[in-house]
Amino acid sequence: MSGIASKLQHDREKAQGIGSNSHAVKYLGQDYEVLRRQCLESGRLFKDDTFEAGVSSLGFKELGPSSFKVRGVTWKRPTELSRNPQFILEDATRTDICQGALGDCWLLAAIASLTLNKQVLSRVVPSDQSFEQGYAGIFHFEFWQFGEWVDVVVDDRLPTRDGELLFVHSATGSEFWSALLEKAYAKLNGCYEALSGGTTTEGFEDFTGGIAEAHDLKQARPELFKIIKKALNRGSLLGCSIDITSSADSEAITSQKLVKGHAYSLTGADEVRTRGGSEKLIRIRNPWGQVEWTGAWSDRSSEWDSVSDEDRDRLKNASEDGEFWMSFSDWLHHYSRLEICNLTPDALSDDEVEKWSLSKFEGSWRKGSTAGGCRNFPNSFWQNPQFVIKLDEEDDDPDDNEVGCTFIVGLIQKNRRKMRKMGQDMHTIGFAIYEVPDEYVGRRQVHLNRDFFLRNASKARSETFINLREVSNRFCLPPGEYLVLPSTFEPNKNGDFAVRIFSEKHADFQELDDPVDCHVEEVHVDEDDVDDRFRNLFGQLAGHDCEISAFELQRILNKVVAKRSDIKTSGFSLATCRNMVNLLDKDGSGKLGLVEFKILWTKIQKYLDYYRERDADKTGCMSSAEMRMAVEDAGFSLNNPMHQVLVARYSDTNLSIDFDNFVCCLVRLESLFKTFKTLDKDDSETVELTLFEWLNVAML
Amino acid sequence: QFVPSDPPPVRRPHAYADQYESDEEKQFRKVFQQLAGDDMEVSPTELMNILNRIISKHQGLKTDGFSIESCRSMVAVMDSDSTGKLGFHEFKHLWNNIKKWQGVYKQYDADGSGMIGADELPNAFRAAGFPLNDQLFDMIIRRYSDESGNMDFDNYIGCLVRLDAMCRAFKTLDKDNNGTIKVNVQEWLQLTMYS
Repeated sequence: MSGIASKLQHDREKAQGIGSNSHAVKYLGQDYEVLRRQCLESGRLFKDDTFEAGVSSLGFKELGPSSFKVRGVTWKRPTELSRNPQFILEDATRTDICQGALGDCWLLAAIASLTLNKQVLSRVVPSDQSFEQGYAGIFHFEFWQFGEWVDVVVDDRLPTRDGELLFVHSATGSEFWSALLEKAYAKLNGCYEALSGGTTTEGFEDFTGGIAEAHDLKQARPELFKIIKKALNRGSLLGCSIDITSSADSEAITSQKLVKGHAYSLTGADEVRTRGGSEKLIRIRNPWGQVEWTGAWSDRSSEWDSVSDEDRDRLKNASEDGEFWMSFSDWLHHYSRLEICNLTPDALSDDEVEKWSLSKFEGSWRKGSTAGGCRNFPNSFWQNPQFVIKLDEEDDDPDDNEVGCTFIVGLIQKNRRKMRKMGQDMHTIGFAIYEVPDEYVGRRQVHLNRDFFLRNASKARSETFINLREVSNRFCLPPGEYLVLPSTFEPNKNGDFAVRIFSEKHADFQELDDPVDCHVEEVHVDEDDVDDRFRNLFGQLAGHDCEISAFELQRILNKVVAKRSDIKTSGFSLATCRNMVNLLDKDGSGKLGLVEFKILWTKIQKYLDYYRERDADKTGCMSSAEMRMAVEDAGFSLNNPMHQVLVARYSDTNLSIDFDNFVCCLVRLESLFKTFKTLDKDDSETVELTLFEWLNVAML
Repeated sequence: QFVPSDPPPVRRPHAYADQYESDEEKQFRKVFQQLAGDDMEVSPTELMNILNRIISKHQGLKTDGFSIESCRSMVAVMDSDSTGKLGFHEFKHLWNNIKKWQGVYKQYDADGSGMIGADELPNAFRAAGFPLNDQLFDMIIRRYSDESGNMDFDNYIGCLVRLDAMCRAFKTLDKDNNGTIKVNVQEWLQLTMYS
């Protein structure tokens, strides 16, 4: 409700590091420590008003209020369910996670993978929580959401039926971190049902802030086994699944006990020596905690007899815990998709783990200004936000014959507006990569224009444009500077995004944009310069006080523009005329004298020239793209956020700008630049204002 | 040339929030849907039509109707994501304020002229929650009143919407509550141009 100030404040907080993992944003403003202390002091257990223990938190359709599935559900605290509830028993392990009556296997597979990396787990599940010391019925978890970490608080009332947890539960029934984690994630997404059906990738990213990539196993790269091993070494999270062709196939179990359309975690890769040579093996876990593969290399299979005792002791695991080995070739044959989530460097403190280098930026596409659409739309493509990545150092990968710098680009679209506009679909998004030509290398204060993209072909691009939350691809390019242009498929789609670059070696990543500046030429008029004709005209218009007020100016201008057929206008508003008077009124009378009026008249003549020159199609109106150039002609250099503001403020719903809005925009821009310079007495490039000083300038 | 890929099936319906609103909220949403059209957002032109339709039904409020420029400005100061339109929540906030300020307007139009005169203005603004100093009142009268110093209803609302938003913006940026804000040229321009 505080307009653009809220966005500016968000950017400021971001710059101060709020939203990083060590400084998470408090979801809904709820502070875990404060709430817990209040509960302890008042001797009450926490009840979360923002996520009630009731039907609305369960769902809207299958778990909606009238569904038979929610009948008999009661909400209970772990202390009512178990004699000795534990938050985490010793270490969190994969067996703490067994799926309940919700189709969120993807989430559970992601949680299961998470338990393999203690450090990542401890970020999501802060470990200083228990049912003993300081217990107040409140717990908290941290998730990554579109570029920032949020801390989500929940009370520990969990949905149960007949004394059993309805959703995720631990194998022992007395450990509750996974059920509470699921509840916090459900709160973040609105309700439990919102978690039904999804991709492991989303869970991976929301728990780690990493970038996920998908591999199609039917067209597996030859070096895939190596990629998997390298990924496990880098602490990445891995998941795999078998595609289904119809929904009837969902969770169908094959004769060898593999579940289709179900998310598994990939937890290990190894190679063993056998009598026949060597065998590559893959270890997988079913989040159900049961139903294991029965083919070759499964728990009790004879293949294990052929390996050394040492290998067998190291790898074999015969318990029914949902985890099993299979050969890499069988795995490739049976499974369809592999998802790898690469972790950010701050998630990995271990020196032995190789780390990725990460950079990221937030941006937005707006109709008429920065929503340029893809390459197919050359007239607007260049208007998209532009980023540059500088790759200095080649990968050091001895047994890799690719020479170059490896990096992953991830473009994620944000859902900030999902509550504002219900049911809004994802945009179709993607990105293109260009080599930066020599003349632009090292330059950051420039937004490349239409001609650049007409002359230069892209060097690489995202595999597809698709309406997923995130598009990510891996590239390997020679050292140099590259331009990354994220866009929606079609132009003029409003959306917000974050773009992230993961690189093997350090890479410099920055936004490219024009500087904000004003070079408007001052119009100098001496009283002697004014000819008699103008003097007479002024005399008639100004009346007895020999000055022109905003009211008089409005009448004059509207009379003049009404006669012109080559420009469209709905007439000058009084506000615009007041702005003009303010801009030129040197003596503070609130009115314009002869010289002041002459300057204004000269300026308006100029505005008219810019307007007609840029109105290429002679419609009498400017398009938002023409406006962008006309504003430059008039002596202003503006960046993306400013262009967005101008279009939002001055254009019509069909993105055209008429003459009075054009003039209003130029006059205001010039005045505001001037006001800033006046206020910035010491040229510090910032101004400090009290509330009254602020209102004095902002209400004008 | 880029070609978009096949879309994946839709998931996560947002119908959820609709089901759990109070009856009053549902009613208001229904009205909003009619006014805002399919995109569920209000453009300055739509806002102008809505406001003018309503004030035409009220007597005792002198106005020549809300101008498009004034509606553009109202949308701008409340829009936080530079889309040029208002969403449901922003519109509701605006709506509640207009209702409140209309009451103040009638109450403080002491001479029953249908307008707020320069002498009636300080009290009316104080009652609306904005106790300003003389300098600011002078400035506001110069900016929003007619040649004889009277403020009609549309200018009164336009002025209060802007004043309310600018105070809110100040508060948002004065995070440490020290009574001053610091802005650089880009922040300055974004705040003041988009108003």
